[in-house]
Amino acid sequence: MKFEGTERYYLNPELKGIVNIAMAMEKPLLLTGEAGTGKTQLAFEIARALDLRMEEARCKSTFKGEELCYVYDTVLRLNDSRFGSGETGRNVNDIWDYLRFGPIGRAFLAEDRRVLLLDEIDKTDSDTQDNLLDVLEDGAFIIREINHKVAANRRPVIVITSNAKRELSDPFLRRCFCHYIPFPSYEEMVKIVKLHYPDIHEGFLEASLTSFYRLREQDFEKPPATAELLDWIGAMRADGLQAPGAGKETTHIGTLLKRTQDLLKFKGVRKAMRF
Amino acid sequence: MIGFVYQLREAGIPVSVQYILEFYRALQQGLAPDLDRLFLLSRLVFVKRVEHYDAFEQVFASFFLGKGPASPMPHWEDLVAGKPFQEWLQRQVEQGLLTPDDLRQFDTEELLSRFWETLLAQEGEHHGGNRWIGTGGRSPFGHGGRAGGGIRVHGRGLHGTAQKVIGERRFVNYSEQSTLATENLRQVLASMKSLRPAGPETELDVDETIARTAKNGGEIELIFRRELRNKLKLIVLLDNGGYSMTPHIPLVKTVFNKIRDSFQDVRYYYFHNCIYGRVYKDPPRREPLKWETLASHGPKTRLVIIGDANMAPIELMASYGSIDMANMERRPARDWLLELKQAFPVSVWLNPLVQKQWKYESPTIDQIGRIFHMEDLTLAGIKQAVEYLNLQGKTHDRQ
Repeated sequence: MKFEGTERYYLNPELKGIVNIAMAMEKPLLLTGEAGTGKTQLAFEIARALDLRMEEARCKSTFKGEELCYVYDTVLRLNDSRFGSGETGRNVNDIWDYLRFGPIGRAFLAEDRRVLLLDEIDKTDSDTQDNLLDVLEDGAFIIREINHKVAANRRPVIVITSNAKRELSDPFLRRCFCHYIPFPSYEEMVKIVKLHYPDIHEGFLEASLTSFYRLREQDFEKPPATAELLDWIGAMRADGLQAPGAGKETTHIGTLLKRTQDLLKFKGVRKAMRF
Repeated sequence: MIGFVYQLREAGIPVSVQYILEFYRALQQGLAPDLDRLFLLSRLVFVKRVEHYDAFEQVFASFFLGKGPASPMPHWEDLVAGKPFQEWLQRQVEQGLLTPDDLRQFDTEELLSRFWETLLAQEGEHHGGNRWIGTGGRSPFGHGGRAGGGIRVHGRGLHGTAQKVIGERRFVNYSEQSTLATENLRQVLASMKSLRPAGPETELDVDETIARTAKNGGEIELIFRRELRNKLKLIVLLDNGGYSMTPHIPLVKTVFNKIRDSFQDVRYYYFHNCIYGRVYKDPPRREPLKWETLASHGPKTRLVIIGDANMAPIELMASYGSIDMANMERRPARDWLLELKQAFPVSVWLNPLVQKQWKYESPTIDQIGRIFHMEDLTLAGIKQAVEYLNLQGKTHDRQ
């Protein structure tokens, strides 16, 4: 099984090598890097390219880790024991009818190999990360209520992303293959844009990218990233514009700069005038 | 290959045995058929942080491509600005081998030659002598170098230096006698907990629900509780003044640094020798913080005091005891400490002096130890301190 990229996603050769090594070694792949560098997208593309099913967990700060494996629905069971399960076919005496599996659980139980995405792991507590460590390492977790061990049929391809809001713990890093995705260079960006807008005009693309990278170099709070660039080009094309405009005349600036402060700065409003 | 691994280690990249095994496993699987993929593979296996990418690339280039030694002789300016030299200088000053006068008179060359001498003399004992410099030379040092004519250590209080160097964690532990490895420390600190009920009532209390339901004669009554979450609030009071703390600065620095890394909600205040009615927000102790403000943080906040508790008994017991002449505080420090303990029942005093020295160093250590639970700044001490805080904290968190 080898990942070669898809027609929609520009895969830099380095990243391709990394994905394949991680898959061969069955290690979770931790991707860090600026927002908009395609970290999350990569997992979807792996699934598409290899024709695997996805299990996706978008992390929240309230996660404890266990709910990604399974949830035991006590309330439902209590309810059924009182009022009967009716025609649902649930058996109150069978705890399995009241266990629901989360993305990790589903990925482990599936007969086929799946792609497991843990998105923005850095949002969770360090405790949660530690809990997940063993699960990912052993490819197994225990359902505490019945002390039953669920082991992975096929080790999923695990992709973890982090925006590095918080530092991840060393033990966590140790168990992953870590890769920092740098922001695409000009040449790579040309390829990326062309994947999305194959019929784009060369001159137009060049002018847009020049403005784009110039904007990135200025100190904005949130510098525009790939997603913004694609939106911007999309907006200009929808308007049928021939040129992106330069300097303050740049069209659709709102798609590139999102923060009020950045926009004000861009328009050249002085600090004192800002509210 | 093993040579490669050791070069990585020397470059300051933490490499564990596990990585090496993994690396060989991958090689066996034929995952590195060409140089490019060997590069990727070894980086994936050995390098976990983007900060280390640069060092890794240099070692790789030097080992596999033979691009010159990874650690060329450092330029003397780099050397002077670098940490090994600065630490050496600091030690010399602390131990009184170099006086401020010497520093003013010696030029850089003279100092450097002394530095080399010490290193060569040490080489027999710690065979680390050369490595120091090797490491020092390759990696970029945090700060800019010398300031004007004199070397920067001179002219600034050592405390200032301590504050400045904090945050620069690129280097291996140089000091051999360091009691703490930073990695262990992080883990110990991470176990500090303050679990409190928080957020909406979403967690089902199964036991209570069953009990109530039974009482209701089988009519279900669901009891929800608020979840317990770690909401640790921590205040660190740091003794950053006085001659008596000077030898402990590197140690305190390490701990301080780790505390800062590990917790979100931490406040730091500073004091000199002992606490008299106020603490300070900034290291030079110019911005006082009102006592009431400090005390108002509430009994759930954990308080950690780092100081050697080593002072003249009069400073602790007598009215107007502060050695600071300008301090006109009438109440003796002991009263203030008692009050502090009352405001922060969950508190611990960390002493950089090793426990068995306490009774010889100063009677005040014993006195203060009766007010605050005191531990020394070793890994074991901090572990116990954290345990103590967790245990004490439990009762207060529930309220």
